[in-house]
Amino acid sequence: MMTCKEVLESLSEFVDEDLKADVVQAMHQHIGVCSECRAEFDTLTMTIKLYRHYETPQMPAPCHDRLVKVLELEKMKKKAGQSSSGSEG
Amino acid sequence: MVEERAVRDESDEALVQRAQRDDERAFGELVHRYESKVYSLALKMLRNPEDAEDVLQDTFLRAYRGIKSFQGNSTFSTWIYRITANSALMRLRKRQLPTVSIDDADEREVPINIADWAPGPVEQMLSQETQTAMAEAIESLPVEFRQVFVLRDLEELSNAEVAEILDLSVAAVKSRLHRARLKIRNRLATHFAEQPKPRRAMGAQP
Repeated sequence: MMTCKEVLESLSEFVDEDLKADVVQAMHQHIGVCSECRAEFDTLTMTIKLYRHYETPQMPAPCHDRLVKVLELEKMKKKAGQSSSGSEG
Repeated sequence: MVEERAVRDESDEALVQRAQRDDERAFGELVHRYESKVYSLALKMLRNPEDAEDVLQDTFLRAYRGIKSFQGNSTFSTWIYRITANSALMRLRKRQLPTVSIDDADEREVPINIADWAPGPVEQMLSQETQTAMAEAIESLPVEFRQVFVLRDLEELSNAEVAEILDLSVAAVKSRLHRARLKIRNRLATHFAEQPKPRRAMGAQP
């Protein structure tokens, strides 16, 4: 049987299903009988669900327009640099 | 028109090669494909729209200037995420006060006898107050934790991808993610402990 310390250390990987089958089985066994580790598992799982539910706003259209302008300016600088170095060389 | 469609159908790799030969249209298509993702990543890391826009512009300026030196050892998406993460990190470091090294921090992450507030449905738990508590919890993360947390848990990239973007080992990514999750969970646990009946926070009649 795994100890509480071992379970807590592996909890994140357990949530991500990133553990070997025998460890997963041992985790399930422990959580099935240990209410404190069960609470740790439940609350960590719910935390992940909660923040994945929390949506990020989309990029506003003016951000795209300003980015295009910034890149256009950079292209002009590059071309100006190329033509001046070309005329010098 | 036909040419525009051809550019839209190209792979990232082909577009990068064309952009490296000064094909502006190819670089424009890469911007089109990744600008929303870059902005979203920056906003999740910085939680400030103006800073996110600065990172967006900084990222594509750096990409434009550096496209010829991009070797193709990683994918373009990994490369652009790496530039984004570094740019956001620099802004976060400027904004946050100096803290102890996260690797040296001897902090208890796991509360003892945490109340099990989790079994309710997500929709009932996700009140405005919970969202605020979560935003504050994310903002309180040390920058190195926040980078990993955003890429891994919000962008849902793999551990290997996050490791490549941040130039960390997979073990370090897992460790930082674990601690970031616990820090956020602990803040939420405090939040729910302060609520009289958290599972009835929304939609329930008194």
